[in-house]
Amino acid sequence: MSISTAKSPVAVHKEPKIVDGLNLVLADSYALMALTHLAHWNVEGSDFFPLHKIFQEQYENLFEAVDEIAERVRALDAYAIGGLGVLAKAAEMEEFKSPLPQKDYVAALIVAHEKVIDDAVRTRNEAGTAGDLQTQDLMIKRLQWHEKTLWMFKSYLKN
Amino acid sequence: MIDELISQAGKVSADEVDHLLELRWKLRQYDDAEGTIKLFCDVRLRMEQRHYLAFFRMRRWLENHLLASVSICPEAKPQFVPVKLDHYCVEAIRRASLCFALRRGYVLLAPRLRFTFREVELRKGTFSGAPSRSLEPAEL
Repeated sequence: MSISTAKSPVAVHKEPKIVDGLNLVLADSYALMALTHLAHWNVEGSDFFPLHKIFQEQYENLFEAVDEIAERVRALDAYAIGGLGVLAKAAEMEEFKSPLPQKDYVAALIVAHEKVIDDAVRTRNEAGTAGDLQTQDLMIKRLQWHEKTLWMFKSYLKN
Repeated sequence: MIDELISQAGKVSADEVDHLLELRWKLRQYDDAEGTIKLFCDVRLRMEQRHYLAFFRMRRWLENHLLASVSICPEAKPQFVPVKLDHYCVEAIRRASLCFALRRGYVLLAPRLRFTFREVELRKGTFSGAPSRSLEPAEL
């Protein structure tokens, strides 16, 4: 293959829709991380210890995830969005104010996880259609974690 | 959400289904905010512990769509404050809305408070804030 006809493997995957989708999931994850951190700090009540601990595990997971998602954007030769204002505006996630009853923190975080899931599913599907298996794999990994978290939270709320 | 609750056979009694249907009807009518809050409080008190997430979603929706219209005296132009459904009875919610108005610095001489829907006030031109951004009543 001559140099003029060689196709960069990255160029194949640099679909604007995928980059936009990844940046949206990045913004969602960042917003969710901030909300989870808030819940970790301010949760009160009889379930303080388990909730405080699980919220910490979750925001730590999200902190690693945002890095991974941003680096995937860079691997696609695009730029990751950033800055608290930009991320909040992009995520459009409904925020909550403390204090809340302990169950409300969990319910509000369920709603936030559902928003991330919606956007990650769209990005996974776009990546699948474009043949960008790495992005698809990353989204599947994220979706598995969010869905597991939803299952745990919903189980907690059941009486 | 309400339809989902109603469809949970065995988890919702016939009496609760009646109340949920009435609440759904009120939400679709979209004209009796006070009655909607009263009924919501009643249904919430009965069912919330078994269906916490569904009632959280309804609460969020209502808080996004309701306003409290507070007049410092009967003749005064109303001011609008948000409604927080942190209590299980309409009078407690009314008192909390009045306290919110006081915290905003309104001087309440002989206050009048009525609950209303945000979109209704937007249509009348009496409220100029942002419209609600969550689901339409028919989707609830």
